[in-house]
Amino acid sequence: MVELGCHHCGYRWNYRGESAFYATCPRCHYKVRIPNQKVDQTGELGKIGLEEHSKNLTGIAKIVNTVVSQFGYDENMLIQILLTFQKNFGWIPREVLSEVSKQLGVPLTRVYQVATFYKAFSLAPVGKHKIRVCMGTSCKVRGAPVILERLEGLLGIKAGETTPDLRFTLETVNCLGCCALGPVVVVDGDYWGNLTVRNVEKVVRSYR
Amino acid sequence: MPRLNSRADLEELRKEILAKRDPNKPRITVCSGTACSASGARQVAVALEEEIRKRGLDAEVELKKTGCHGFCEKGPLVVVYPQEICYVRVRPEDVPEIVQSVKENRIISRLLYVGPGKERISRESEIPFYKYQKRIVFGLNRQVDPKSIEDYIASGGYGALAKALFEMSPEQVLEEIKKADLRGRGGGGFPAGKKWETARNALGEPKYVIVNCDEGDPGAYMDRSLMEGNPHRVLEGLIIGAYAIGAREGFIYVREEYPLAVENVKVAIKQAEEYGLLGENILGSGFDFHVRVHRGAGAFVSGESTALMNAIEGRVGEPRMKYIHTAVSGIKGKPSCLNNVETWANVPLIIEHGADWFRSIGTEKSKGTKIFSLVGKVNDTGLVEVPMGITLRDIIYKIGGGIKGGKKFKAVQTGGPSGGVIPEEYLDTPVDFDRLVELGSMMGSGGMIVMDEDTCMVDIARFFVGFLLEESCGKCVPCREGLRVLHSILTDICEGRGRDEDLKLIEEIAETMKETSLCALGTTAANPVLTTLKYFRSEYEAHIRERRCPAKVCKSLIAYYIDPEACQACGACLKNCPVGAVEGGEDEIHRIDQDKCTKCGTCYEVCAFNAVKKISGEPVPPSPPRGTRPRAKR
Ligand SMILES: Cc1cc2nc3c(=O)[nH]c(=O)nc-3n(C[C@H](O)[C@H](O)[C@H](O)COP(=O)(O)O)c2cc1C
Ligand code: FES
Ligand code: FES
Repeated sequence: MVELGCHHCGYRWNYRGESAFYATCPRCHYKVRIPNQKVDQTGELGKIGLEEHSKNLTGIAKIVNTVVSQFGYDENMLIQILLTFQKNFGWIPREVLSEVSKQLGVPLTRVYQVATFYKAFSLAPVGKHKIRVCMGTSCKVRGAPVILERLEGLLGIKAGETTPDLRFTLETVNCLGCCALGPVVVVDGDYWGNLTVRNVEKVVRSYR
Repeated sequence: MPRLNSRADLEELRKEILAKRDPNKPRITVCSGTACSASGARQVAVALEEEIRKRGLDAEVELKKTGCHGFCEKGPLVVVYPQEICYVRVRPEDVPEIVQSVKENRIISRLLYVGPGKERISRESEIPFYKYQKRIVFGLNRQVDPKSIEDYIASGGYGALAKALFEMSPEQVLEEIKKADLRGRGGGGFPAGKKWETARNALGEPKYVIVNCDEGDPGAYMDRSLMEGNPHRVLEGLIIGAYAIGAREGFIYVREEYPLAVENVKVAIKQAEEYGLLGENILGSGFDFHVRVHRGAGAFVSGESTALMNAIEGRVGEPRMKYIHTAVSGIKGKPSCLNNVETWANVPLIIEHGADWFRSIGTEKSKGTKIFSLVGKVNDTGLVEVPMGITLRDIIYKIGGGIKGGKKFKAVQTGGPSGGVIPEEYLDTPVDFDRLVELGSMMGSGGMIVMDEDTCMVDIARFFVGFLLEESCGKCVPCREGLRVLHSILTDICEGRGRDEDLKLIEEIAETMKETSLCALGTTAANPVLTTLKYFRSEYEAHIRERRCPAKVCKSLIAYYIDPEACQACGACLKNCPVGAVEGGEDEIHRIDQDKCTKCGTCYEVCAFNAVKKISGEPVPPSPPRGTRPRAKR
C-alpha cells in the first residue's frame, strides 16, 4: 500500500493496486506515477525506485523491462519499443502489449491504437519465413500481380495469411524501394528482383 | 581519432587524408546499394576482396563499397578508377578477370554496357544514362563509402558546415537559402527558406529540425539511396539548417522498411560525433546540436508533416488541421522544421557554391536539380538527377533509352498517389514544379513510372485509389468515404459493371474531396483518377460501353486462348497452370478450359512461341477438337 497524491486534482488516497509504476487517480483519472519507497532525494521521479523494482521482475515483465528501460521509460518512444519487439519476436503477443502499457504508463488503448495503426506490427504469430511481395506502381506495371498469384498458388494461401505449418507468411507491401528491379519480393530481408513466373518457384524452394 | 576543435583541424585532416591517397592508384568500386545487393553485389564484393588478397594486391589496388550509383537495373555495378570503366551485371565468376585486367590496364569488353547502336561503352560518363544527367547531389554517391566519414571529408565534406559556422551568421545562412530559392523536394515544393524563417522567428524553445525519409510513395526510392549512399551529406545539411534556425535537437525519421538506411545513418551520426562535427561545441564554434534516429513503422500517411510529428511523439501518425504551421507548433508544440532528405542534401551545396551558382541551374521558378526514380517500362531504369526544366521526352528517351521491348509509350505517372498520368502529347513539357501541376499531376517526391500500351489506365486509377483507401487514416469523412466509393465505382468499371453516369459521379466526388479533406492525402487523392479520365476517357468508355479493356488487363473483361496455328504442344503452359485449366498432351494442341481459367496470365508468360493470346471484347474462338496435332508435326 502506498499513499499517492494526484498532481492534477490534488486528491490523496491509499493505492492498493498491483502496478509498480503508475496508478490512475480515482477522482480525475489522471495518470499518477507511483513513487517507490526510496524516492531519490533530488526529486528525480522515482528513477531509483524503478531500477530497484526492475530487479524483482520475472518472465515477460522482465523481458519487457529490459527494452523499456533501454529507452528510458520515455513514452515518446512507444513506437520504437514496439518495433524492437516486432523485430525480435516477429510479432507482438498480447501480454507484451499490456506489460508495455503498464511499465510505460501509457493506457492500453493507446498501445493498441499504435500497434494496429502501423503496418509494421503484427499481433498474431507469423510464419518462420516472411515473404513480402511488392505491389507498388513500378512493380505492378512490370507484372507483380502475376507473381503474387503464382506465390499464392505455390503456398496454398492468400496474401496476408500464414501456412498452417507456420513456415511461410505471405504479405503484400506498397514499395520496397527497389523499383528498378521490379517485380521485387523480399524474403526475410533478402531482396529478389526481376522475378518471373518461372523463377519465383526457385525462390520459394530455397527457403523450404 | 581526436576531436576536431576548429576549422583548421578539419582542413588539416582533409589534407592528411588526401596526402595518404594516390589519385592514380587503381580503385575498384562496387555498388552496395540495395538493388545491386539484390542482384548479387555482396557476393561480387566478397569475391573481389578475396581475389585481391589472394594475389597480394592489397597495396596496389583499392576496393571500395559505395552506395547506389543510380543505374540499378544493370547491377551489380563495378566501376574501375581512374579510367572510370563501368562494368554492368557483374557476377562473382567475372571477378578474377576484372582484377587481372586492372593490373594489366585492360578493358573487358564483354562486361561493358551495350549502347542503343550495339556499341560497347567503357567510360561511365559516356553511357547515355549518365551522360544527360546533372548529378550535383547524387554524384558523390558512387565515390564514397557511406560508412566512412573520411571519404566524405576527403571529397570536401563538412566544408560547407565550417563555412557556415565561421564565416556566416545564422541570418546570412538563411538569406543564402532564401536567395537560392530552394524548394522542398518532398512533394509540395514549398520554399525551404520561408519555412526556415518561420521556424526561426517562431516563439518557443527548444526548436527542432527533422529529416523526412518516410518515402511511402510507391515507385520512388531516391531518398533511400541518398540516405544509404551518402548520409553525411544529409547530416551536414541538417546541421547547417539547425544553425540557421536556432535548433539544438534534430530527428531523422526513416521508414522501417529501409534497414540499411537506418544502419548507415546511425553509423554516420556516431562518426560525426566522434569527430566533433555533431554534439556539443561543434568544431569549437560553441554551437551544440544533437540528432536522433526514429524508425517509422510503415504508414504512408505518417509521411505528412503533422502526422510525422505525431509519430515522433510515439503516437498514431494521423494528420491534424494545419491552422498553425508545424514550423510554429510541431513536435511537443514547439517550432519544428521538417524537410525532405533531398532538400537537406542540397543545403551544403548551396552554402559551399553560393546561391547564384544554384540559381543558374533550372527554370525561372524551380531552381536546381531533381532526382527522379525512372522506373516502369523503360529500358534503363534507375535514379536520374536532372536539371529542372528538362523535358519528359529527354528523360524517358535519352536517359532511359526508350520503352522496353519496342512497345508503344502510353503515359508517364509522376507524383505518386497524389500525382497523375501525363500522356504522349505533353512529353515535351519541361519538368518543373508548376508545369506538372498545370497538367493535373505534380512533381511529388520524384517517382516517374513509365507505362506502355500494356497498362490499363482504369486499372491504374483503381490501383492508386485502392492504395490510398488502405493508407487513409480515416480521420476525415471526405477522404475515408470518398475513396471507398471511388474504389467501388472503379472496381465496377474494371469488372464490366460500369454505367455511363459513373463518370460524372467520379468527377463530383473528386471535387468534394479536393475541397474538404483534412490533409493533402485526401485533397490530392483524386488526381490519378481525374488525369486518367481527362486524358484517357475513351478507355473508360470502352470499359463501360463495350465491356472491353483496350490494354487487356482487367481480368473480368479478357480471356486467354491458345492459337492452334502457333501451339507446338511443348507443355509449358500445361505444367505451369496453377489451376489445371490447360488440357492437351504430347503431340496434341493444348486448349484452355474457359470455365476453370482464373486468368492469372501464367500461360501467357511462359509460352515461348507466343501461342497464348489475350483477347478482350470479342468471343473466344472455338478450340480445335481433341487430338489435333500441332502444325509443325502434322
Ligand atoms: C500523405 C502524404 C505523404 C507524404 N509522404 C512524404 C514522404 O514520404 N516523404 C517526404 O519527404 N514528404 C512527404 N510528404 C510531404 C510532407 O508533408 C512535407 O511536405 C515534406 O516532407 C516537407 O519537406 P520539403 O519542404 O523539403 O518538401 C507527404 C505528404 C502527404 C500529404
Ligand atoms: S514499386 Fe516495387 S519496389 Fe518500388
Ligand atoms: S543499387 Fe547499385 S546502382 Fe542502385
